[in-house]
Amino acid sequence: MYSWIWRHLPGNSLVRAVISLLLVIGAVYVLFQYVFPWLEPLLPFSDVTVDNGGGTG
Amino acid sequence: MSRTVSGRRRRPPWAVALGLLGELLVTAGVLVGLFTAYSLWWTDVLADRQAGHQAGRLRQDWTAPGSGPTAPAGPGYQAGDGLGFLHVPAMGKDYQVLIKLGTTPEVLNQGVAGVYQAPYTSAMPWDRAGNFALAAHRDGHGAKFHDLDAVGKGDAIVVETRDRWYVYRVDATLAQTDKEDVGVVAPVPAEAGYTAPGRYITLTTCTPVYTSRFRMAVWGSLVRVDAVDAQRTPPPELRAG
Repeated sequence: MYSWIWRHLPGNSLVRAVISLLLVIGAVYVLFQYVFPWLEPLLPFSDVTVDNGGGTG
Repeated sequence: MSRTVSGRRRRPPWAVALGLLGELLVTAGVLVGLFTAYSLWWTDVLADRQAGHQAGRLRQDWTAPGSGPTAPAGPGYQAGDGLGFLHVPAMGKDYQVLIKLGTTPEVLNQGVAGVYQAPYTSAMPWDRAGNFALAAHRDGHGAKFHDLDAVGKGDAIVVETRDRWYVYRVDATLAQTDKEDVGVVAPVPAEAGYTAPGRYITLTTCTPVYTSRFRMAVWGSLVRVDAVDAQRTPPPELRAG
């Protein structure tokens, strides 16, 4: 998978390394900005309030 | 280069499949690691920044000329409004958390202590009787109640509003209870040993750390109300080293 991406990147090794780094940064950005904020409420790790089961927190 | 590529392509299918599986597993591991970093570090960064900004604005509002010091700290607060600061010296010398109305994730994720509006509508510190019940995150999103287990009987809890210091003393703590145990934030929390209406405060969060399996609570009752002076001199409970 990763070697396939590497082979399909243009340029020499240095250019590919720079593009790879940008791709990684982009992926982390998308995860932190969009994916994780969406995922977090679906996971039971951050409920802190007492409630009747219906409320959130 | 192309020779290497064609050489790689001649790997047997099982080797290709195994290699792909390995890459997917490594990717999954990295994703879990990133999510942990997000939950325990990045949400703190965001929440602390937001809470710090809002805290500064509230203090500015308090000192702004024209917003008379006689403005009643009474009703009229909306969900999401900042109404003061919580000080708990047992959780750190300069521990200060912005207090806002509401305990929805939208409010709590801002790195504040939220005032319960449900299942019981909390009494405000200036009300004649009732329970001022607060919740905050144990981990992530500011983790303002991370060290709530360090608060013990006899410790001071101080609520700072525009005009008053409300000084409470911790009477009881509950290390672990069920998350549906709404009695801990009742107007007269019986589990704390209170039997008659009074001016109480309750701090709740989740326990054990890094989970949401159970809830813990700290209860206190009002000892004293000090007026805020011109220099906002903190009460002795907050000055002691």
